[in-house]
Amino acid sequence: MPAPKIDYQPYDDATQLARYIDRYPLSFKRTPLAPLIPRPLTLSERTGPAAAELFPTGPLDLSRSAADAPKATGQLIQVSGRITDEDGSPLAGAVVEIWQANSAGKYIHDMDRHNAPIDPNFTGEGRLVTDAEGQFQFFSIKPGAYPVLESGWWWRPPHIHFSILGRSWMDRFVTQIFFPGEPLNETDLLLNAVSERDVRERLIFEFEGTSMGEVNAMGFRRDFVLRGRRQTPELD
Amino acid sequence: MKIVSPYCTIGPFFPASFVEGHDDLTHHRGGTARGQHIALSGRILQEGGVPTRNTILEIWQPDANGIFSSCPGSDPGFSGWGRARTDAEGWYKIRTVVPGSYDGRCPHANLMILAIGLTHRLVTTVFFPNSPDADPDSVRDPVLDCVKDTIARQRLFAKREKADEYRFDLILRGENETPFFLD
Repeated sequence: MPAPKIDYQPYDDATQLARYIDRYPLSFKRTPLAPLIPRPLTLSERTGPAAAELFPTGPLDLSRSAADAPKATGQLIQVSGRITDEDGSPLAGAVVEIWQANSAGKYIHDMDRHNAPIDPNFTGEGRLVTDAEGQFQFFSIKPGAYPVLESGWWWRPPHIHFSILGRSWMDRFVTQIFFPGEPLNETDLLLNAVSERDVRERLIFEFEGTSMGEVNAMGFRRDFVLRGRRQTPELD
Repeated sequence: MKIVSPYCTIGPFFPASFVEGHDDLTHHRGGTARGQHIALSGRILQEGGVPTRNTILEIWQPDANGIFSSCPGSDPGFSGWGRARTDAEGWYKIRTVVPGSYDGRCPHANLMILAIGLTHRLVTTVFFPNSPDADPDSVRDPVLDCVKDTIARQRLFAKREKADEYRFDLILRGENETPFFLD
């Protein structure tokens, strides 16, 4: 059965972060000077890998490095949400990758020079494939804040990075999501690089309350809308 | 209609598993890709020709017969998708095959970049010359033809340095800037 033809429009700046960010010099050294060139979308741009085949899944529980390993240090959280396209249709079989700092604000990465401890029980990365309803769910610990050392003033608020491989090259999606109520949210250059308040809110988790029982965790939710909608048939 | 979520690609701390094992498209599901195996490599540079370190490059291309891996009849030994990261000198390297042409499109691969300093991915397309001395101006392709400037157009062609080595530099900004497409 042929897949329905999907319509992809260029991203609307009103729903997106600015490309140039004041007080963030690197954005002025890497953003192309020439205007981006419009192009037609052919089969090449409209297709993408069968992403779920490319990756092993897991871990789904970032709060421990193995099932029998000690827990990572930090506050247990559940991170969940649902991925749809612009029509609201769920994206089943999408690969979701997340990564984050540990509770002290430290990443396992050769470029992280922040003087904070590595947690031997925390790798800070996870991966899964969405279910038939487009849903995902991880367990983790709440990431810490950390300084951007070369800036001299900027501390990144707690956040989790998301990378989503959807159904094509066009809906490939990468973002980072922040926690509600954090004082550093008010000064973060990325979270505030938006023109409208409701865009900013789409970069922040909703707190869903706490769960008690087998797994005790604070629940945080963020749904994602990836680009793409079904083309409506032209009228005769 | 729902409103599309905001992109925010900035972040240097891509985890190791983000790139490990994904820079070779030529071995997939236990098989080996058909066609001419090549290394596609180059440097990713920012303004002033300064190398970018730790930049993520992703690739999506058809197999040697011009068929995408998610389409019927594709080469089962070829993944079609890959991801690499630049080193301290801005070099990336991806093992792939020379993509085949198909109805209406010349041999090409889709590329995207994620890096610190970029809130959005940058997308472009690299083209492979049909023969070493082919004139890029004579190539007709619906995406390539959107680049009207003839000098800029030539910057979208990989250079064949050896039979199995192609070079493609990406200059994000400034002199000799690579053409990027509206996304």
